[in-house]
Amino acid sequence: MNKQGLAYTVIFTFIVSFVFVLFLSFANQTTTPLVELNRELARQRSVLVALGIDFTTAEEVQQRFSEIEQVTKDGELLFRAQLPSGEAFAKEFEGAGVWGPIRGVIAVTGDFERTLGLEITEQNDTPGLGGRIMEDWFKEQLRGLRIVDGIIRVGSAGTGDEDRENGMIDAITGATSTSGRMGRIFRDELTRLGELLNGGAL
Amino acid sequence: MSSTGAILKDNVWTSNPIFMQMLGICSALAVTNLLANTLIMTIGVVFVTAFSSFTVSLMKTLIPRKVRMIVQTLIIAFYVIIVDILLRAYLPDMSRALGPYVGLIITNCIIMGRAEAFAQSNPPFISAWDGATSGFGYMAVLMTIAFVRELMGFGTIFGLRVLPEAFEPWIIMVTPPSAFFLLGIIIWAGKTVMNREGAAA
Repeated sequence: MNKQGLAYTVIFTFIVSFVFVLFLSFANQTTTPLVELNRELARQRSVLVALGIDFTTAEEVQQRFSEIEQVTKDGELLFRAQLPSGEAFAKEFEGAGVWGPIRGVIAVTGDFERTLGLEITEQNDTPGLGGRIMEDWFKEQLRGLRIVDGIIRVGSAGTGDEDRENGMIDAITGATSTSGRMGRIFRDELTRLGELLNGGAL
Repeated sequence: MSSTGAILKDNVWTSNPIFMQMLGICSALAVTNLLANTLIMTIGVVFVTAFSSFTVSLMKTLIPRKVRMIVQTLIIAFYVIIVDILLRAYLPDMSRALGPYVGLIITNCIIMGRAEAFAQSNPPFISAWDGATSGFGYMAVLMTIAFVRELMGFGTIFGLRVLPEAFEPWIIMVTPPSAFFLLGIIIWAGKTVMNREGAAA
């Protein structure tokens, strides 16, 4: 058969594409359950981190997460946990970052007096600048921080605000925009959480 | 020197894809601010270049000339998607950190360059070796850039702190322009050394 002819070219291209795509679909299909499991585990882990619940293994993550109650109010999904310190709520959020959406989980005490923690699950901001919202020192600033006037404010750049009563955290040096956007996310999410928690029993 | 040794030297040094052929520059700027990400990304490129060169070489007598480049792209895309699937399933954190860059390996000119320049006219195993060594040449340059960027930008090496806390990180090292300058320095240094070697010979 003439390998440069039209018929051969069309048949060859068709067969090659078919074989390669078939193999890819098979590979995708076989790993889908694992990918789903990873995604679900990552989600459960971030809810636990935000609530300040300790875990070490993947099994422990699932075990601890199963003890958390999921409640829906006004179309919002909240995670209700009974911690030694009392009742606590966590909520998943999504807001605008500089280069893409910022997704994560924020947790507050049941009486809406303090934030319990923050976990960022997804962000696309510049690594080393805005991307530092993923770092522990930044997130840990929200552990047990008093909510003042219903919100948390992002102040000037620093290395971590130790004061747990002022309702403020330090911004990230060199990442003014991302810090500002985090401030907006805190304001929006805490306002929403305030409405949900104060608007009657869950 | 055996032909495998000659190919290794050629791809890593005398015809290094980055500083001699100026290929794969975009990813050299984008993914080099952390050593761990750079390492995984470059391993991906080594894997894809080796296997796509192997496959192109294996199929070279069957591929009609008219659709040669389309078929090469299909083969490259196939291996890149395999890498992406493996990362998503087995290294989810790494997959998240690399984000869209894995998919962009498809557009890395080094891979198609090797398929066209070498695999098209050589047997499969030596083509795979040629592909892998081109990947090593790419890896060597990117890891050098990443080493400097992570050290100066974060004060760490593979995430481990090596510079004292008092060290003030250089923010420019974290952003892509620093890779641009570093790459320029590497090209300059590489060519200077090579010119001396040439003069000595």
